[in-house]
Amino acid sequence: MAVRLPEVSVAEIGVTAVHDAAEIAAPRWRRDLELWLPAGFLALLVGACFLWPLIDHSLPSPVGGQLQNANVPPLSRGALFGTDNLGNDIFSRILYGGRVSIEVGLGANLIGLCLGGYYGVFAAFKGGLIEATMMRILDMFLAFPALILAIVVSQFLGPSELHVIFAISFFSVPAFARIARAQTLRLREQTYVTAARLSGRKDRAILFGHVIPNVVPNLLTFGLLGIPIVIIVEAALSFLGYGVPPPGPSWGNMLAVGQSYLSSNPDLVIIPAAFLIATVLSLNLVGDAVRDRWASR
Amino acid sequence: MTTAEAGRLAARDEHPAHQLRRFDDVTAPVLLDVNDLRVRFNGGGRVVRAVNGVSFSVAPGETLAVIGESGSGKTVTSRAVMGLLPPTAQVSGSVRFEGRELVGCSEKELRQVRGRLISMVFQDPARSLNPTMRIGAQIREAVRVHEKITRQQGRDRAIELLRMVRLPSPETRYVEYPHQLSGGMRQRVMIAIALACRPKLLIADEATTALDVTTQAQIMEMLLELQQEMGMALLLISHDMGLAASYTSEVAVMYAGRIVEGAATEELFERVRMPYTKVLLDAIPRIDRPSHSLLPVVPGRPPDLSDLADNCAFNPRCPRVTERCRVERPALEEHEPGHRYACFHPHRAEGE
Amino acid sequence: MTALDEPPPAAPGAPLLEARHVVQEFVVRDHGGVRGGVVQAVSDVSFEVREGETLGIVGETGSGKSTLARSILQSPRPKSGEVRFRGVELTKLRKGELLDARRHVQMVFQDPFGSLDPKWKAARIVEEPLLAYGVGAAERGRRVRELLDLVGLDPSLYADRRPRQLSGGQCQRVAIARALALSPALIICDEAVSSLDVLIQAQILNLFEQLRAELRLAYLFIAHDLALVKQVSDRVAVMYLGRLCEVGPAEEIYRQPLHHYTRGLLDSIPSPDPKVGRRRPSENLGGEPPSPLDPPSGCRFRTRCPRAEERCAAEVPELRTLAPGHEVACHFPLEHAAV
Repeated sequence: MAVRLPEVSVAEIGVTAVHDAAEIAAPRWRRDLELWLPAGFLALLVGACFLWPLIDHSLPSPVGGQLQNANVPPLSRGALFGTDNLGNDIFSRILYGGRVSIEVGLGANLIGLCLGGYYGVFAAFKGGLIEATMMRILDMFLAFPALILAIVVSQFLGPSELHVIFAISFFSVPAFARIARAQTLRLREQTYVTAARLSGRKDRAILFGHVIPNVVPNLLTFGLLGIPIVIIVEAALSFLGYGVPPPGPSWGNMLAVGQSYLSSNPDLVIIPAAFLIATVLSLNLVGDAVRDRWASR
Repeated sequence: MTTAEAGRLAARDEHPAHQLRRFDDVTAPVLLDVNDLRVRFNGGGRVVRAVNGVSFSVAPGETLAVIGESGSGKTVTSRAVMGLLPPTAQVSGSVRFEGRELVGCSEKELRQVRGRLISMVFQDPARSLNPTMRIGAQIREAVRVHEKITRQQGRDRAIELLRMVRLPSPETRYVEYPHQLSGGMRQRVMIAIALACRPKLLIADEATTALDVTTQAQIMEMLLELQQEMGMALLLISHDMGLAASYTSEVAVMYAGRIVEGAATEELFERVRMPYTKVLLDAIPRIDRPSHSLLPVVPGRPPDLSDLADNCAFNPRCPRVTERCRVERPALEEHEPGHRYACFHPHRAEGE
Repeated sequence: MTALDEPPPAAPGAPLLEARHVVQEFVVRDHGGVRGGVVQAVSDVSFEVREGETLGIVGETGSGKSTLARSILQSPRPKSGEVRFRGVELTKLRKGELLDARRHVQMVFQDPFGSLDPKWKAARIVEEPLLAYGVGAAERGRRVRELLDLVGLDPSLYADRRPRQLSGGQCQRVAIARALALSPALIICDEAVSSLDVLIQAQILNLFEQLRAELRLAYLFIAHDLALVKQVSDRVAVMYLGRLCEVGPAEEIYRQPLHHYTRGLLDSIPSPDPKVGRRRPSENLGGEPPSPLDPPSGCRFRTRCPRAEERCAAEVPELRTLAPGHEVACHFPLEHAAV
């Protein structure tokens, strides 16, 4: 009546089944490239954004530029990416803007992971009325279009990077909570959870010993793929004027300013847009690759 | 009597099931001829040798059981016959069906064979049936792959098939979805689909393993009756030696990708030669053993198929092992008429 | 008294485990969560297990045997009925007391991989019950090594392995070690060997027998394979669609089945002896088990029984003793040849 299991361990088989499927899709070297190339780019980006300004003291400030230096073309002396309409060094603004994107991306996801993750796990583990109530509260937040909600919160709190993180958390928390709840529902039924109960362990011990450790990998993968989403939302908010207030650089508000000068100085748009695209693409590639590898475990 | 019934009777007269066929009888017609079949899987830097030189044949109307535990290579063998292995598999050797070589055929050519000449039933009907399609539609689809028929003809054919597999109220079943049927019924539907185009060979890969024992008995009975009616050959892949004993005329036992013993069923069970086969037989719980009797066990586990040496694969666990077994591989030979095995120290009954 | 002390045994002669009129129900949900109906998975089941005895419970899909096992462990509590362990009524215990009582009855599950947390190492898995009962670290370590040895796993090799580094048989050994951690008196084996290869299955069955002899364990052995159950059990209970059909000594059930379902089960087992040949079980047991949502009235087996009469539809047959220790729930049981 039962499926007979082969008398070998998963480790011995080497998970050939899943790997075979992925091998058919793309050879190993290509899959490795798809992970390490974007990961390398991201590492460089993060390093540059946070470390370069500390090391290179000749880096111009991202704000307070001189108007007579305005619109210097890229690859000029002293201005790798040129300057913008106000004379600010674009390279410097890209680096500082990158900091914002990374901080918001990580910040909002971290809050979502910790708060939302625990919320969802707790709700699903308790079940019954508690779960139903908690999820309905969440649904109220999910009912709002994410961007509108973020704008409203940001408007209410006032534009700043920190407030953007809070605003975006309003929908990253429910998103994580949903995933965590679904995972926990599945885990709740696992035989080893039943076995733990029958061994006499209390709910709390089961939650922290069995449920959470098995939910976290999935949440982390989800989080990794959520960072590019948050970065785009931050850029959108800043573009609309509800994010990081100018003159403080954010890739989003650089786009906002640049769009007025699209015909005369397209670099003002192209450069931040290129970085945005490259970063989001890299994060997505890395997130996919990590998910594929972890799923096969 | 309808034409169909007359045809069935004629087929049955022409191809009596359960005919004893000696392995060296080369004059008998052969339906499926497998010769030195080898299947390797390359993956993750390792080569897994799932099938290592398997040879057997099935005559028209005959029933052959291929018995082995998981990891013996029996399922891979059956998939290789049908050409259903993933692209990572490398197949060599020969699989001839009615004289026609199947190894190396294109997908297109194989599709001509599958369903029409050779059909297969798998273990888990829940996964083999499309849960979003009605039963009738799935059967019709199976027929339409090989024959051009109208929708009405398809319906008639499907209902006839459902009746053939002894499903009660076939007209009702025709419009039902798989989830509305029990496991046993779903398996009957799978059999109906497999038999839709009257194949000459049916491969049943652990087809009854997931079923209750009472349902298994019904399904096996039905299969044998259908086999007789249709003059079809049956290749039974299983781990259950009881099934082999009760329902087949020939048995081949596999271990580590090779056939280690093969004979007519009665011959094999009465005169077991291979220590592995004996161990397998002894390990089956018997209803006639006293309670709390200890089963004779061998220690250890099946060998790692990526790390096979040129010796007898069973040697680490064999109760009759000697040094020779560790360094030399016994060849599968017909040491006795109609009984082939690969062993240096086979069992011999007293007085033989 | 530390957690590992043996509890005082029950009065001599009293059964270790006693189940009386246990009923367990499930609400079946239709599409959209609407209540679709109630399945009575276990209907009025009564049996007992004595100290050191193995009671086998055999039944096919839908028989309710796994549900019965969970009900005994109060996970969840049965809808009605009594379950007494060494005289203590389990259904009446509150959560804390139940936790304490549970250490005497443990379970080994069907899926060897599923019953172990994939992230935990073997040693940690085995010591988990000891954690629950507050056993100190040094004692835990010692006990884990002892347990792994007991189930045939060398602690130096296996203690640090995770389930993905263990085969099915090895995983099941770890599960058994875990079940033994608190020195239970009774172990419930819920299809514990059904997922294992034949030869490995034999190894694990032998391990059960060894442990039984060494530790004086009682077992409730649940399986669908009658030959398997008969071989390991002193007594066998046959279940069909939530009810007990027949209970009796293993040998007698085999030689003198009194219930038609038992007879049908015996006939369906393919014998590894070609001379016995194909039986004709279709004469005995045609049809499919009816849906548990809508079981037949009276005797639930009557739709497939060759001997069914009107009385079978009208009246539920009760278990009655037809021979010493041999009970049958049938209005027209098979003939019992008096010895």
